[in-house]
Amino acid sequence: MFSIIVDWLQAALRWAAPLIVVSFGEVFAERSGVINMGIEGIMLFGALVGVAASYYLDSLLLAVLLTILVGAVLGLAVAYLTVSRRANQVVTGLMINMVSLGATDMIFAMMSETRQNRATTFPTIFPASMHDIPVIGPLFFSQPVSTWIAFILPFIAAYILYKTRWGLNVRAVGDNPKASATAGLSVIGIKYQTVILSGIFACLGGCVLSLAEVGYFSAGGMAAGRGFIVMAACVVGGWDPVRTALICLIFGAADSAQLRIQTVSSTIPYQFLQMLPYVVTIVALTIMVKHSLVPKTWGAAYDPKDV
Amino acid sequence: MEENRYALQMQDITVEFPGVIANDHVSIDCKKGEVLGLLGENGAGKTTLMNVLYGLRPPTSGKIFLDGKEVQISSPYEAIENGIGMVHQHFKLVDTLSVIENVVLGIKEKKQKLDLEPAKKRLKELCEEYQLYVDPDEIVWRLPVGKQQWVEILKALYRDCKVLILDEPTAVLTPSESDHLCQAIRQIIKKGCSVIFISHKLREVMDITDRITVIRDGKMIGTIKTSDANQLILAEMMVGRPISIDRKPRSLYPQSEPVLEMHNVNAVDERGIPALRNFSLTVNSGEIVGVAGVDGNGQRELAECIAGLRKITSGSISIKGKPVTGVIADPSFLGFIPEDRQKTGLVLDFSIADNMIIKDYHEKPFAQKHMLQYKTIKKHAREMIRKYHIKTPSEDVKVRNLSGGNQQKVVIARELDPEPVLDIASHPTRGLDLGAVANVHETLLKERNRGAAVLFISAELQEIMALSDRIIVLFNGEIMGELDGESADQNVIGQMMLGQRAEVKE
Amino acid sequence: MNASGKSKTIRLPLLGDMAVSFGRTLLGILMGLVASGILIAISGANPFTAYGALLRGALGSRYAISNVLVRASPLLLGGIGVALGIKSGLWNIGMEGYMYLGAIGASVVGVFDLGLPSFIHIPLCFLFAMAFAAVWGAIPGYLKAYRGVNEVTCTIMLSYVAIYLTNWVVSAFPPIAEIGAFYPMSKKFADSALLPILMRGSSLHAGPFIGVLLCLIFYFILNYTPFGYQTKLLGSNPHAAHYAGVDARKQMVKIMVLGAIIGGFSGAIEVMGLNRRVYMDFVTNVGYESVAVALLAGGNPIGVIASALFFAALKAGGATMSIETGVSSSMNSIIIALCMLFVIGVGVADGRRQQKIVDNSKDDESESKELETAKGEV
Repeated sequence: MFSIIVDWLQAALRWAAPLIVVSFGEVFAERSGVINMGIEGIMLFGALVGVAASYYLDSLLLAVLLTILVGAVLGLAVAYLTVSRRANQVVTGLMINMVSLGATDMIFAMMSETRQNRATTFPTIFPASMHDIPVIGPLFFSQPVSTWIAFILPFIAAYILYKTRWGLNVRAVGDNPKASATAGLSVIGIKYQTVILSGIFACLGGCVLSLAEVGYFSAGGMAAGRGFIVMAACVVGGWDPVRTALICLIFGAADSAQLRIQTVSSTIPYQFLQMLPYVVTIVALTIMVKHSLVPKTWGAAYDPKDV
Repeated sequence: MEENRYALQMQDITVEFPGVIANDHVSIDCKKGEVLGLLGENGAGKTTLMNVLYGLRPPTSGKIFLDGKEVQISSPYEAIENGIGMVHQHFKLVDTLSVIENVVLGIKEKKQKLDLEPAKKRLKELCEEYQLYVDPDEIVWRLPVGKQQWVEILKALYRDCKVLILDEPTAVLTPSESDHLCQAIRQIIKKGCSVIFISHKLREVMDITDRITVIRDGKMIGTIKTSDANQLILAEMMVGRPISIDRKPRSLYPQSEPVLEMHNVNAVDERGIPALRNFSLTVNSGEIVGVAGVDGNGQRELAECIAGLRKITSGSISIKGKPVTGVIADPSFLGFIPEDRQKTGLVLDFSIADNMIIKDYHEKPFAQKHMLQYKTIKKHAREMIRKYHIKTPSEDVKVRNLSGGNQQKVVIARELDPEPVLDIASHPTRGLDLGAVANVHETLLKERNRGAAVLFISAELQEIMALSDRIIVLFNGEIMGELDGESADQNVIGQMMLGQRAEVKE
Repeated sequence: MNASGKSKTIRLPLLGDMAVSFGRTLLGILMGLVASGILIAISGANPFTAYGALLRGALGSRYAISNVLVRASPLLLGGIGVALGIKSGLWNIGMEGYMYLGAIGASVVGVFDLGLPSFIHIPLCFLFAMAFAAVWGAIPGYLKAYRGVNEVTCTIMLSYVAIYLTNWVVSAFPPIAEIGAFYPMSKKFADSALLPILMRGSSLHAGPFIGVLLCLIFYFILNYTPFGYQTKLLGSNPHAAHYAGVDARKQMVKIMVLGAIIGGFSGAIEVMGLNRRVYMDFVTNVGYESVAVALLAGGNPIGVIASALFFAALKAGGATMSIETGVSSSMNSIIIALCMLFVIGVGVADGRRQQKIVDNSKDDESESKELETAKGEV
C-alpha cells in the first residue's frame, strides 16, 4: 500500500509538470486580460513537435527550440486575432484548438515511424543509484529534468509578476488598460508579449506531456482537456503563479490517481476513474471561484481608440 | 527669446469625428508659470483638445509647440517624454495596485527589477513639497476619491512635467479639498510649471487662473485675462447668451402624503464597505427632494436600494406602504432614471421601440398570448418620440446612434410617461448640454406638479438648489442635514458635503 | 421632416452593413479554403483535384446531397443550441456532452423491444434523451448562474465526463452494452425506435428537416416573443436586464437547459436515425463544429441553417476527398476551423465602426451628419 502511495505521488508530480509549464504562460496572458483558450490545441502541437524533433533530429535541445518556435507562432496567431482584431477570445481559442486537433492528427499520420519507435525522452538529472533511495528516490530523483524545471517555474513566474517592471505592467494592463495607456505603456504590445509567452509555454507543456515519459504522440486529442484544466487552475489559483501551480498539482494528482486506483481495485469501472480530473476541476471551480480576484478586463477586448 | 515665454502653444487644432467637428481651428497658449483656464460647457471640446495634446487623439490638422519647438505627439508616452502631465476627468489609476506602483507605472528604466524604495522616498518628498499627502503603500481603491486625485497629480509631478493639465479636477472634490487643490496649484506654478485648468464652473476658474480661454461648440471664442473678466462676461462667452439656473417658481402641492419611506436602512457597496448608514428618509407626493453631496458618498447605492437593485442589510424601505423586496419593474409604480444611462438604462443595440418596452415587454398591450405585438410597440414608440421630442428619423434606429440628450429622452419617456408614484432621477443631466438640461428640469418639475414624489440626485449644487423643495446632504452614507429648498444656503450645504452635521453648526 | 424619406437614409446603411459583413464572411471562407488548399498541397495531393473531389462528394449526386443533409443534422441542432446561448451572452459549448447524454437517454428505452408502436416508442426515446440532457445542462447552468463558475470550462469538462460515461454505458453496463463486441457499442435499437429512412439506398432520416424547422421556430421565438426579447436583453446588456427586473439567473439556467435539450434531441436522432446503436465516440468534434456553425451564422438561427449546410457539405465532400486523393480525413475539421479563423480575422475589428462614442451634445446637426456619413462609408 505504501509503495502505491509513493508511486502515485511520483506520478502526480510527473502529470502535474506539463500543466504547470502551461500555466506559467497562461497566468501572464490572463493577467494582461487575454484568455488564451487555444492552449489546449497548442499543447497538441507541442506534443507532436517534441516527439517528431526528438525522433527525427535526435536532439532534445532542438526539440525544445522547435517547440518554442511553433508555440511562438501559434501564440502570435492568437494574439493577432484577439488583440489586434479584437476577436472573441472563446471563439478564437476553440477554433485554434480545432485546427490543431486536425492538423496534428494529419501530420502524425504522415510520420508512421514514430508510431512504432519511441522518441528519446527527457533524461533524469540524478544518477540511477539515487533512484533507489526509499521514498525520495522514486519521488524526486527519478523524475525527468522537465519535472524539476516545471516546479521551479512558478517561483520564477511569481518573481517576474510581482518584482519586475514588466510584471507590474502586465498586472496594470489587465486591470485597467486605459489607465496603463495613459501612463505611457503600450497595451497592445504587452498583450502580444504575454499571449506569445502563453503560446510558447503551452507548446512546451505539450512537449513535456509527450517527452517526459512516454515518448509517443497519440492521435485524437492527446491533451485531453488539459489546456482547459489549466485555465480552470488559473481561476482557482486566483491568477497567482504559485497557487495556480499548486492547483495544477492537485489536478495532476487526480489524473494519476485514476491509473493507480485501477491497478488496486477493479470494483470501480475505470471510466469513472477517468472522469476524476474533470470532476475535480468542476468541483474546485465551484468551491473557489468566489474567492478569486478576477483581472478587471479578463476576457474583454481592448480598443486603443476608446479614450 | 521672445517665443520661449510660452511653455505651450497649440495652433489651429482641428479634430473631426465622423460627422462632427469637435475642435475647429482652436489655438491656445500657456506661459511658463501660468495657470490657463480652459472654460466651456460639457461637450464644447475641451477634453478633446487636451486629448490631442496628450497624444490620445490625433488631430486632423494643427501644430503643437512646446517651449517654442514644434513637437509631434502621437502617444501618451511621447507626451510624458515631452513633459506633459494630465489628470483626467475620469481617473486613470489602476485601482488594484498600490499608490507607488501607480506612480512608477510606465516609467522606463534600464533596471527590470522593481525597486520601489527610492520611488517611495521621492514621492514622500513631493507629498511634503505640495502638501498633498498620501500613503505610498495604500491600494488605490481603498483611498477616498479626493486622495485619488492627489495620486493623479503626484503621478504627473513625479514625471517632472512642465505642463500639467487638470481636466475638471474639482468635480469629485469637496469645497475644502478644492481649496487644498488651489494651494497645490499655486505651489506647482511657483516651480515654473504651467497648469491648464479645465472646468465649466465659473467661480473656481475665476479663483485660480491667470488667463482664460473660452471654447464653445468646438470653436475658440477668445482668451482674456482673469483680472479683466467677471462671471457674467465669461458666462456669455461660454454659452453665447446669458444664463442662469434660477430657482423655479412653484406652488405647494395640496394633498401631500408620504410615498417613499426609508427607516434605518443600511447597505454595502460592491466591496462590502458600508455605503448607507442608518439612513432614514421620507419623500412625499408632490415634492422634489434633492440629494446633494460629493459623488461616491452613497448616492448610487441609495437609488439602487430603492429600486430594489441592491439588497439592504438592515432597515426597511417601502413605497406607498408596499415594502421593496425585489427589483421593481412596474413602470407605473417607480420611474428610475439611472445614473449611467448607457450602461444601465438602455440597450444600445436595441432600437428605440425595443428600448421603450424594456420593463413591460411581457405585459399587455405589448405582449399578448406570448407574442410581442410589434404594431402596438412601434405605435407606442412613435407616440413617445413625438411627445418627448426625441430627434430620430424613425423608431427603428438603434439607440446607440442617438446623441446623449436624445438617449436620455428615451429613458425619461419610458420611465416617466406611465406616471409613476415615485421618480428617482439619478444625475439625470450629466453630460447633457444646457438645452437638454433645461428640458430635464422642466420634466422633473412637471412630475412634481402632477403629484409624483421625486428623489433628485445630483452632484451639481446649482440644479439641486434650483429644483428641490427639500434638500438633504449625503456624506459617507449618512444624512448630514436637511434644508428647506427655498432658504438653503450654498455655503451651509458645502460644509455639510464635507461631513459637518447641521447640529454642529450654530 | 418626412418620416418615410428619412427612414430610407437609415435603412440603406444597414443594408450596406449587411452586405459588407456578408462580403467579409465570404472573403474569410475563401481565404480559409486557399490556406487549406496549401496544406493539402503540402500533404502531397493536388489541391484542385482534391477540391474537385470534395465538390463532387458534396453535390455530385442525389446520394451525395442526402449525405450532406444527414451530416447537417447534428450541426443544425448543435448550432442552434450554441446560437441561443450566444444571443443571451452564454457560451454553451458542451453540445458534444449533451448529445452523448441524449444518446444514453434514448438507449435506455430504445434498445428494448417494448412492444410499442413506433409513433409512441420514438417520442418516448426523444423524451428520455431530452430529459437526460436537460439534467446534464442544468449543472453548468446552475453553476454559472448561482455560483459564478465560468461556463466555457465547465461545459467542456462535462463533455469529457459525458464521453467517459457513454464509454462505460456502452462497454460495461449490461442491459444496454453489447458485451463482448469488437468495439464499445450498445445493443441495436429496437426496430420500433428507429427513425424511418426517407430515401431508399441512402441513410437520409428526418433529422435535418427537423433541424431546419427548429431553426425557423427559434428565429421566430427570438424575435417575436417576450421570451426571446428577454434572452436578447440579457445578452445585449446584462445590467439593463437586471434593471428591467429580468431574473438573469433563471434565464441563464433556462437557456443552458434549452440548449442541452436540443443537443440531447440531436444525439438521439443520430443514434436512432443513423448509427442504430450508441457507439463509444459517435459524435467526435461536434462540440467545436457547433460553435463554428453558430458563429458563422452570427448567432442568427436562419444563418445557422446556411452555415450548418455549408459545413455539412464540407464534411461530406471531405470524406470523398479523403478516399479519392488520400488526404487525411482530419482535413475536414482543419478546413472548417481555418475558414472560421479567417472569417473572424477579417471581420471583427471594424464591427464596431457604428459604435460612436456618444458624448457630443449637438443633437440636431450631428445626428443628420452621422447618418450621412454612415451612408457614405458604405
